Amino acid sequence: MSAAPGRGRRSGTGAGSGGRAVQRAGAALRELALGARLAVGGGRGSWTRLLLTALGVGLGVALLLVAASVPRMVDARDQRTAARSDQLLEQAPPRAGARTLLIADVDTEFRDVEVRGRLVRAEGARAPVPPGLDRLPRAGELFASPALARLLRSERGRVLRERLPQPIAATIGERGLAGPAELAFYLGSGRLTGPEHGGRARRLDRFGDAAAGAGLDPVLRTLAVVVLTALLLPVAVFIAAAVRFGGEARDRRLAALRLLGADRRMTRRVAAGEALAAALLGLVVGGLLFLLVRALVERVELWRLSVFAADVTPSLPLAVAVVVGVPAAAVLVTLVALRGVVVEPLGLVRRAQPRRRRLWWRLALPVAGFALLLPMAGGGREASDGAGEAQLAVGVVLVLTGVAALLPWAVEAVVLRLGGGGVAWQLATRRLQLDSGASARVVSGIAVAVAGAIALQTTFSAVEADYVRDGGGSRGVVDVWQTRAADAPGREAARLAAALRGRPGVGAVAAVEQLQAVRGRDSDAVRVAGCDLIRRQLRVARCADGDSFLLAGASRLRPGARVRLDGEVAWTIPADARVVRPRARDRDPRAGAVVAMPDPVVVTPGALAGARLRSTTVLASVRLDGAADDAIDRVRNAVWRVDPFAGVLELGGRDYGRQYANLRRALFAGAVAVLALIGASMLVGALEQLRERRRPLAVLGAFGTPRAAVARALLWQTAIPVALGLTLAVAAGAGLGALLLRMVGEPVGFDLGSVAGFAAAGGAVVLLVTAGTLPALHRTMRPESLRAE
Amino acid sequence: MSAGEPLLSAEGLRKAFGPTPALEDAAIAIAAGEVVAVMGPSGSGKSTLLHCLAGIVRPDAGRVLYRGRDLTACGDAELSALRRSEFGFVFQFGQLVPELSCLENVALPLRLDGAGRRDAERRARAWLERLEVAELAAKTPGQVSGGQGQRVAVARALATEPRVLFADEPTGALDSLNGEHVMQLLSAAAHDSGAAVVLVTHEPRVAAWSDREVVVRDGRTRTTALAGA
Repeated sequence: MSAAPGRGRRSGTGAGSGGRAVQRAGAALRELALGARLAVGGGRGSWTRLLLTALGVGLGVALLLVAASVPRMVDARDQRTAARSDQLLEQAPPRAGARTLLIADVDTEFRDVEVRGRLVRAEGARAPVPPGLDRLPRAGELFASPALARLLRSERGRVLRERLPQPIAATIGERGLAGPAELAFYLGSGRLTGPEHGGRARRLDRFGDAAAGAGLDPVLRTLAVVVLTALLLPVAVFIAAAVRFGGEARDRRLAALRLLGADRRMTRRVAAGEALAAALLGLVVGGLLFLLVRALVERVELWRLSVFAADVTPSLPLAVAVVVGVPAAAVLVTLVALRGVVVEPLGLVRRAQPRRRRLWWRLALPVAGFALLLPMAGGGREASDGAGEAQLAVGVVLVLTGVAALLPWAVEAVVLRLGGGGVAWQLATRRLQLDSGASARVVSGIAVAVAGAIALQTTFSAVEADYVRDGGGSRGVVDVWQTRAADAPGREAARLAAALRGRPGVGAVAAVEQLQAVRGRDSDAVRVAGCDLIRRQLRVARCADGDSFLLAGASRLRPGARVRLDGEVAWTIPADARVVRPRARDRDPRAGAVVAMPDPVVVTPGALAGARLRSTTVLASVRLDGAADDAIDRVRNAVWRVDPFAGVLELGGRDYGRQYANLRRALFAGAVAVLALIGASMLVGALEQLRERRRPLAVLGAFGTPRAAVARALLWQTAIPVALGLTLAVAAGAGLGALLLRMVGEPVGFDLGSVAGFAAAGGAVVLLVTAGTLPALHRTMRPESLRAE
Repeated sequence: MSAGEPLLSAEGLRKAFGPTPALEDAAIAIAAGEVVAVMGPSGSGKSTLLHCLAGIVRPDAGRVLYRGRDLTACGDAELSALRRSEFGFVFQFGQLVPELSCLENVALPLRLDGAGRRDAERRARAWLERLEVAELAAKTPGQVSGGQGQRVAVARALATEPRVLFADEPTGALDSLNGEHVMQLLSAAAHDSGAAVVLVTHEPRVAAWSDREVVVRDGRTRTTALAGA
């Protein structure tokens, strides 16, 4: 205990006001230290409470530190991808020499995961080496990322191994990878030629000339802002709840101090000291949990993104904000909580006359939030840039904070009107009427997380559906395209089709060649196809090699028009070209470019007999052989064998679909994790309440109260605030979701499935919390426990 | 139970908590409507005896017979039902459910015993009036004094009209005046309802309200005197 105030004043006699200030500060520090000693020195009960608080604060701190590491994660990833960039910004590429390297993109995919691939050939002894490699691979040598190396060695990567059968001579180091799970390789090639020989390779004299990083789609970025907001706010709520664990026991200790002469100010400082000790221990726990997360982070892949442990480093200002902010918030929350308690010297702790919660300021928060968001509604996707993002984030924070602030008022207003019912209902409602604040505050975390999650799920569903409408789902067709040095017209298409047919995974193949015909400002695609395909696609009475066709209404070019093919070769559209109509066919782009999109000018190979073409684009639509496992990867293997530079496009906008599906899954997982976190704090609160009330419960047990009745009371006690919280969350989430939908230009509609999912998760939390209290309830209500009293 | 048999009796009771013996061959017999004070110094085993008699604690050896039924052979559910309907309890402190009003506290055992809310509260109000605390009906335990709370607890204990009322230091937390008042009301109400009372106390002043005293010392019982005899 610190010196009594009177003694402090006497010893300060004669000293100036500065001296008294120092003495007061010293006394305050001693009282803070006393609080810390009480927190750790009060036996098993104190330690339990301290550890529970520290664990709660620690979980929150760990999450905050991870969030504080996000800028560094993004920066480090961007820096590495920029450093390995092989795109030259200069207009003139370097000349071949001792310091140059030929490099070509051979990116591919395996089971919908991108594989970054580069063919390389050094032109001299001092050719640049990409980051992460000690040397360049020699011809036929494969340098793979560790994740790709593992995949290729595993049974899962058997099909990919057919594409990359070369022995892995080395692995790419961390400096050369975007993340630990990235699939990437450098393959040495002896045949790679530069652009001057018509080859596909670029010539480099250095890496890292361009800034890289595709970044997220603007809509996704907008939603990511909301995701972070929705998930971090409950963490703050959770930390605030954790700091209040053991509040009743602390109030009793303070009452004992009042009896010994501590005034109200001193008791507040002692309470602050206790909170500070718990928060500091929480920082240590949080730091350890953060290190644990860091150690395990490389095993996790989210949204196709993975991060190196070294990248999970909090930015200094944010880390300082967490380290200073959390203990400060702990003290603040404790002092605010003490305002509602009168600590009397006679060992009596009595609740101050409870003030009815005021609605106006609680309502002002979401109103202000919606007011900020409303002008953005209808702003389209550009609302997600610059200042718009800040406005969005502030608006969302205000709406969600409003949910957290409104809930205690709503719970109080509702439970005051509850009555009737059985014994269990009565026990629960009376308990909530006496003090609904604790439950409501904790449930606020759930409400915030669920409101945010429902808003986002609503938006994701609509936007995802839109992307699927735009691109559609896969219909089992892939498009393959390659650029080839021209042979006789139509021959490359026939060659590709022949090379693919009969390969595992490959069904029907339709291949054409495509050129661009330019006349003045008019330009049209010219398709070179065989009569079989032409008859299937166009309404032609007859077709023979040498015939040409123009699609009615699709082209400005007329028969006899002189054009330049691919901007180089002069050619005249045959005067006898017939204007025809396409057959009524499948116009769905997912049917494949060859089938669904006939070009405005269609010619048979013989019609181009005189044209001296230098290159041609071959386009093939390949139907997957559904019977083969990994059909699409087998098609990729077949294409790779023909031409590793050829592109393979799975039709159906699945990239966005996957991104959204991943976001939705991550969001649901995040919200459920928050629910679990809050559930844990509710469980701790319920257990603490049981401990505080063990005497009346033991007496209830003694006079024969069935445990089931009290268990049901506990269930109601948890269920009522959770149900109210979820109701409020659904309302706020739906409102927010509607606004977000307007912002991204989507019609307003609601994802009832996600609402049901969250309601079920909330119900599960209630049941689990109640189930978690049952063993303690059983122990507490044993009549024998009267003896412990 | 035949005439002349005690309502509640125990014989050969032994109970130890770890290495510490609490009861050693204790015996007691209580007739219907009788008020028996169990006396003894702190730690003598008198509360343990009360807990064994009420079926709260199971003895290591010996028998407890209530109306001819051996409570040591009864299961938890049976004992709970018995305590709910046949026994009443008053303890020293902390026995009222803090979130319920005094009226709801008194009505609680009645409701647990199957009475409807309205009926239970009507009967509870009558008991509060009898214990002279009717004006506290709407207040919660935190809003009433210790003596008032104890009278509410007595009302709750008697509300189910038990055959046996167990009172463990019922005035231990009260001043002498309040204690006297509570004992007066308790014994009168118990007498009116015909309930036997097992009264654990270490205060002779409180024991003076009993018909008979049983002294417990080092876990052994000894009947010392018949009050008023």
